[in-house]
Amino acid sequence: MSDATLTLTPPESVITPRAEVNGHDPKMLISMRNIWKTYQMGTEAVHALHGVSFDIPRGEYIAIIGPSGSGKSTLMNLIGCLDTATQGEYWLNGKNVSDMDDDELARIRNQEVGFVFQTFNLLARATALHNVELPLIYGGVGASQRHEMAKQALHSVDLAERMTHKPNELSGGQRQRVAIARALVNHPSILLADEPTGALDSHTSMEIMDLFERLHSEGNTIIVVTHEHDIAERAHRVISIRDGQIEKDERIR
Amino acid sequence: MRKSLSLFRLAAIWEAFRVATASLRANKLRTALTLIGIIVGVTAVIAVVTIIKGLDQTVAQTFSSQGSTVFTVSKNPQIIKSREEFIKSNRRKDVTHEDAEAISRTCTACWRVGIAANAVETVKYNDQKAENVRIRGVDPITMFDIDGVSINVGRIWTDSEGASGREICVIGPDMLKNLFNDAPADRAVGQEIRIDGRPYLVLGVLEPLGSIFGFSRDNVVYIPYSTYQKAYGGRRSLVVFVQVHNTDQLESAEDQVRTVMRNRRGHLTEDTDDEGFALETQDVFLNLYSSATSNIKWVTVGVAGISLIVGGIVVMNIMLVSVTERTKEIGIRKAIGARRKDIMTQFLIEAVTVAALGGAIGVGTGFGLAYLISALIGFPLLVNVMSAVLGVAMSSGVGIISGLWPAWRAAKLDPIEALRSE
Repeated sequence: MSDATLTLTPPESVITPRAEVNGHDPKMLISMRNIWKTYQMGTEAVHALHGVSFDIPRGEYIAIIGPSGSGKSTLMNLIGCLDTATQGEYWLNGKNVSDMDDDELARIRNQEVGFVFQTFNLLARATALHNVELPLIYGGVGASQRHEMAKQALHSVDLAERMTHKPNELSGGQRQRVAIARALVNHPSILLADEPTGALDSHTSMEIMDLFERLHSEGNTIIVVTHEHDIAERAHRVISIRDGQIEKDERIR
Repeated sequence: MRKSLSLFRLAAIWEAFRVATASLRANKLRTALTLIGIIVGVTAVIAVVTIIKGLDQTVAQTFSSQGSTVFTVSKNPQIIKSREEFIKSNRRKDVTHEDAEAISRTCTACWRVGIAANAVETVKYNDQKAENVRIRGVDPITMFDIDGVSINVGRIWTDSEGASGREICVIGPDMLKNLFNDAPADRAVGQEIRIDGRPYLVLGVLEPLGSIFGFSRDNVVYIPYSTYQKAYGGRRSLVVFVQVHNTDQLESAEDQVRTVMRNRRGHLTEDTDDEGFALETQDVFLNLYSSATSNIKWVTVGVAGISLIVGGIVVMNIMLVSVTERTKEIGIRKAIGARRKDIMTQFLIEAVTVAALGGAIGVGTGFGLAYLISALIGFPLLVNVMSAVLGVAMSSGVGIISGLWPAWRAAKLDPIEALRSE
């Protein structure tokens, strides 16, 4: 990774990591406090993350960037509540999720997190509409309201005409937009995208990034995890991860 | 915005059902193989149970044709269960005509009292021959009613004829077949047949009773007891038949008969434990049937049940494959908020759906098979709604049990690992 390709504003004091502060800032949507993630590889303990702390306010568009093996995937899994930290505290939308069990985490993922994956991760046998309805089904939304919300979400990503299509009848960009609609349908606190353009050509990638920009302007909090600098550049703040630690945390816009 | 918990469960269960049926449709061959596993099991169970029920009914009807209002007094029990019993009963005094008269005289609860003795002989008519025919000497003629047989053509002998010792008889319908080349019954009336070389005049032909377990109950010739005594000697022990008006009186009649018989046997029995006679209702046959067949029934049902277990193992196998194949899907579902019980429900419903479907088909084929078999053997088919419901419930149960482990494996998958799989 070369800093020369990035035009970053100097790390100002606007948002500074507050690693030593205990407790969380109730104004922040996300508060991570001294997060450690340790994997036991045989007899050896491997630290994927050591002592990561940061805050994300509501409505921010943020990129987490880092080379493979940097720990950014681990961080993404923690932010997305797919996993829990070995040590440290994680507050999401006022809830301490650090010690939650599997089912509580599932509930948080359903209510607070909208995932967008590199390979879309749509259900192949289900229509676009049904894919988008899925989080609402697990969220307990009644059928008629569910249809309405799913249609609206598909409409907001300009896919209203493709509702009855199955993923294999859609282009890559369309599939990713279905996935974004699915992520947004439950009005989550954060939209968490993992290499969202990794499987798309550059033109489609730009379309998806434009969509993210629009969603951000509509008030959504967006976190994009990527190793591509031009994708990271679209965000307003970039956290660089290296060797399991925050290397840089900069506001670029 | 969020609806109640029960509605949530309903939506999740409906989703699980949709997913299950879609998955079953998508893998038609696999579904068919799984179905066959369950169908074979349920078919076997339903067919076996249905056939056993039909058999039970046939036996019950056959033995109760004489009616539950009849009991017998005899020297030897009708069914001897052990060597000891045989020796014991052989030491008893014969039951005689006098015993029957004493019962008839003193038993106020008794309605009809009759005596009967049996022999097995070869019966001839011209050059026709019937072997192993039951010759039944009876007195008085109400024994026909007690036996539950009725005259079809011709007549029964009169009381005076019965007392005369004349060679007269009433024949069972099998005699028509075996001696008279299936001629109409009225052709046999007035003919002379030979039993053990003695000529007998045929007075009438009985209504058919049918057969049980391949033994015809129509292969019989009734003769008056006086004639029987003349031909076979008076020294043989006979059986006293007692009939009451209705079953309420059965107990008091039995008590009275017991008292009479005990008085008549008195101290003549060396063995003090032994009453000196056997008093039995028709239940003895049913009891014997039940005790003789209960083990066989359980073994048969058990063997059929094993095939259902095999069906369950097939379901489990297929479900494990299904879970492995759909690891990615499970990961996606978990990522967007499916909890363990949602995933568990999904796979359980899939297992139960296929098992219940197989069960329903199996109930159909089971009854079909039972129908074929009962038509071949010739007893009634008892299509029981209860066993149909039970068949489906049982296979659903098998589905749940065999789906539990695969579903649990799916439910506890780590979402990150599951998402990573292809």
